[in-house]
Amino acid sequence: MKNWADHLFDIVENSIKAESTEVRIILGMNNKIFFCTISDNGIGIKDKKVIDPFVTSRKTRKVGLGIPLLKKAVEDTKGSFRITKLKKRGTKLSFETDLSHIDAKPFGDMTRALVDMIYSWPKVNIEIFVKKNNKRLLIYSGKEIKKIFNDFEIQHHEVREFIFQSLNKELNLAGINLEFGM
Amino acid sequence: MKNLEELKKIRERVKRDLELRAGKHRIKIVVCLGTCGIAAGARQTMNTLVDLINSSGKTDIIVTTTGCAGFCEREPMIQVNIEDKEPVVYGKIDTEAAKEIFEKHILNGEIVEKYLFSKGK
Repeated sequence: MKNWADHLFDIVENSIKAESTEVRIILGMNNKIFFCTISDNGIGIKDKKVIDPFVTSRKTRKVGLGIPLLKKAVEDTKGSFRITKLKKRGTKLSFETDLSHIDAKPFGDMTRALVDMIYSWPKVNIEIFVKKNNKRLLIYSGKEIKKIFNDFEIQHHEVREFIFQSLNKELNLAGINLEFGM
Repeated sequence: MKNLEELKKIRERVKRDLELRAGKHRIKIVVCLGTCGIAAGARQTMNTLVDLINSSGKTDIIVTTTGCAGFCEREPMIQVNIEDKEPVVYGKIDTEAAKEIFEKHILNGEIVEKYLFSKGK
């Protein structure tokens, strides 16, 4: 992938394919170290073998590149990567990457990626948090949005634009954004 | 989550706006957004289509997403479904190609041969 935003989108798509109805994304930036956790309530992974590119849930081919590509991108920046099964149900993937590392990819348009997720999978409840100074702040909740807009209204460009601007502002406030390249 | 009050105001405007226009989604554009699609830039293609739909002012066109179609080397791929017409699949659709297809096919019903991947079924 060209940037981290694309990787994030790809990982959340895995959660969707695993039949999740809830996906929780936590993002944070600490001195140019970007950290991120994606948890879901999907069918879960069997074991850590998913980091092998030749392990996949797909039936039409024998290759699943999303996770191994992300893991490599993280390791290229001497970051950390972890994927685990959640106790009750679901999967949690977390990683940390040093964006100032010479081999770090561009950050990408994270806000756009988050909005794309919200609109690609409207039936899934996505919750987005930022973490700053160890405090977690909810900046988007699919559940809350659906209390106000129905599925048809949510498609209106004004709503989409509002969600984009609101997320962008919160990400910027948390120090997460474009200064590391698009 | 802040801004809930603002959202409620937007909802009023949106509701009024939608009431004035067509209700059903007559045209559905499906964008492949599997790992291969994302890597090939399909999100930019998708967002270009969303922006074009906005500027056109039409509310009967919707963009949805799907996973890998199995033809990764042709990504980004999009499928155009117009009501009562057979579905049309295009390959290698970057933002420029998306604009061309929007003008010629979505707005004027003319299939753009040079990007055509398959028709029907």
